[in-house]
Amino acid sequence: MSSSAEATGGVARAARHPSTDRPHRQIAAARPRISLFGALLLAPALILLTCFFLAPAVLTAVFAFTDMSTSTGIGKGQYVVTPNLLRELADAGLSDEVAEAVSVETYTVDDAGLEAAEAGGVDGRFLKNIADRLNGETYTAAREFERALRGLPDAPRSPRELKLAAEHFGQSVLNQRFDTSEELSATLAEVAPNVSEETRDRIVASSYTGAVWTTENFHTLATQRETARLVANTFLFVSATLGFFNLSLGLFLAIVLFYMPKPVNSVFSTLWLLPRITPVVLYAIMWKWFTWEGGFLPVLAEQVGLPSFNYMKGSVVTAWITMIMVNGFIGASFGLILFSGALRAIPVQQLWASEVDGATRWQQVRRIILPQLRWPILFVTAYQTLSLLSAYEQIWLTTNGGPGKTTTVWALEAFRTALSNYSGNLEYGLGAAMALVLVIVGLTLSILYLLLFRFGELVSKPRIEF
Amino acid sequence: MRLQLENFTKAFDGVPVIEDMNLQVEDGEMLALLGPSGCGKSTTLFAIAGIYRADGGRILFGERDMSNLPSQRRNVGVVFQNYALYPHMSVQENIAFPLTVGKNRMRKADTVRPVREIAELIHIEELLARKPAQLSGGQQQRVALARALVRRPDVLLLDEPLANLDAKLRLEMRSEIRRIQRETGITAILVTHDQVEAMSMCDRVAIMNKGEILQIAPPTEMYRSPVSRFVAGFLGNPPIVFLDGHVTGECGFTMEQGLSLPLPQRLRGLSSGQSLTLGVRPEHFGTSGAAVASGKVTFVEPQGRETLFDVETAPGVVLRSIQPARQDVGIGDTVSWPVDAEHLLAFDAAGTRL
Repeated sequence: MSSSAEATGGVARAARHPSTDRPHRQIAAARPRISLFGALLLAPALILLTCFFLAPAVLTAVFAFTDMSTSTGIGKGQYVVTPNLLRELADAGLSDEVAEAVSVETYTVDDAGLEAAEAGGVDGRFLKNIADRLNGETYTAAREFERALRGLPDAPRSPRELKLAAEHFGQSVLNQRFDTSEELSATLAEVAPNVSEETRDRIVASSYTGAVWTTENFHTLATQRETARLVANTFLFVSATLGFFNLSLGLFLAIVLFYMPKPVNSVFSTLWLLPRITPVVLYAIMWKWFTWEGGFLPVLAEQVGLPSFNYMKGSVVTAWITMIMVNGFIGASFGLILFSGALRAIPVQQLWASEVDGATRWQQVRRIILPQLRWPILFVTAYQTLSLLSAYEQIWLTTNGGPGKTTTVWALEAFRTALSNYSGNLEYGLGAAMALVLVIVGLTLSILYLLLFRFGELVSKPRIEF
Repeated sequence: MRLQLENFTKAFDGVPVIEDMNLQVEDGEMLALLGPSGCGKSTTLFAIAGIYRADGGRILFGERDMSNLPSQRRNVGVVFQNYALYPHMSVQENIAFPLTVGKNRMRKADTVRPVREIAELIHIEELLARKPAQLSGGQQQRVALARALVRRPDVLLLDEPLANLDAKLRLEMRSEIRRIQRETGITAILVTHDQVEAMSMCDRVAIMNKGEILQIAPPTEMYRSPVSRFVAGFLGNPPIVFLDGHVTGECGFTMEQGLSLPLPQRLRGLSSGQSLTLGVRPEHFGTSGAAVASGKVTFVEPQGRETLFDVETAPGVVLRSIQPARQDVGIGDTVSWPVDAEHLLAFDAAGTRL
């Protein structure tokens, strides 16, 4: 991103540059050519940036403010009043009378009803009777309409057939799909004229099957008790993994390997890279072999008389340890590589000088090496905080947040909510809201880190003469 | 403190770099290790500092054998070529560093006085609050020197300390380092490939080549009577000219190309026909002397106070002459200039001085 920002600056400068003593015509000719060229060079970066960074981020932010889910779909919704909806509304305070009024079934003899009855196999002569004599009539009760039908000359003898024929003319607003709110509103007004306009609007609004704008997701996140647990889990997971592995182990390994002969250094650096370069699924399976009952550790534990069980999922403590180690061993290599590079950048004469000055190994590490690793330490902390905040795949593949939900972190819960759960109703909106929270937390943390480590100072132009 | 190397040997990956070197530096003396790059002079220095471990022989500080002690316990001060200042510390902290580490380390507050003292000696009192990045090359050099001296080391080791400075600063620091060494009376070793530095700063010069010390002598003596062709060629600027030929007659020297010169009186008695290399320093041609060499001036290089001439005295034989500035001779002129035959240096086929 920074390179594209610089390039923009470059284009702007180039465009402003033409000196004043040149003829006007040339300046005018030069300006668009330069900016066009700049724009052309920038185009690939801008397109990629837009498609793969900006668009997903913006869409996440947009979805976060909807109640989009599997049931709403991602397309445009319709207006349907269902018995379920009425029940929900009744729970939310809608009176029974209104519910009854809305769900009332009426019988109207019209073309649509006749066609339906014909298609349903009602006797032709009987139908003709109905069309001739009852056309345009409306009945609000089934019994009344059936009585009227029975009075017709060619009415069937059996009450069952009569009832079936009557059903074809039955009309109810329930389960009918309307494309616009006005249609539903008009129909409701017709069916239940006594219901107040306000109540009607409320029913109409809540009958929309598509996604609607709402801040409900954030309200849910802010109020549900689950959130506190998720936050605590995430905090524990990120800080423990970062603290024990990505930073401490990475730093420790880098410094120890730094003092080792080169061949040893190469072998161990490569070994520590294995968790990172192993495909994640294989890596997870290997951890299962390692920790499940019948796996390496439980068998070993049994041999020496220690409690032997499925360490990955068998207890909260071992699940946590497993989860942190699974992620930590991947993270340690990142720190190792970065710190090793930074260590090698320290001139060896500085280390010699410190030894000649009388510094012990430990003093050398603490007073000469560590202060000069400030920038890589910041980078590993910042970068790995962000990647651990959003890491869920290893957890998903190993403890899967269990036992229960004890090792479920924010990212995993967001993933489950939005994209993978057993209930089948994927709540895209809520999931996006969770992701958005993650993005905001990440950004805030980045800015805090940069302020804390005085970023401006770190990137200022070096002035050492060599 | 007197410093002594006894049969010092150092090998890298089994390849010996220095074998059985013997060297003695007297208390308060400043000795230069002079030689071309790769001759083992820095290796020797780092071995004395304990940065490299000796593979054989002994390194003695006074009577104490330091060979197996780590550098932390040798009490030496080292100034590195790139100064090796700690970039994250201020000048004050850099200089105080040796006092705040190790076994009997001081508290930070106690270091203020010794640091101020050494800073005054080295004239950097006003820089103490700065970071190394805010210093010029010469200032960094002074800080490095202060850091090396603050612990009052037994031996001060300087590894090409002037190599990274510009010409003017180099001149200034040359006398500064010498002044500080004299004032502190500290035994010092200077590693350099610059013969002017070595000769101007040190009491004695040890000239090295291929891991061997060829000659140790005070600068003037070494310049006047080098033991070998290599030493003669290494010292002197503009350098000495070597003429390959053979002895003729009682006390003469002739080259195949045709140039003939008399040999110094002290070499009277060499058998005629013996092959010989004669070394003619530029100051011994064109100023005074009994012998004469003539030829055509092929190059003139005015250097202000002096003028340097190249004179082709025979086909392919160019003698160099340095004289007080003169403008009466130009390229193409034929000159007949005196040669101070008594000061000519003669070397046998193996390069040993006769």
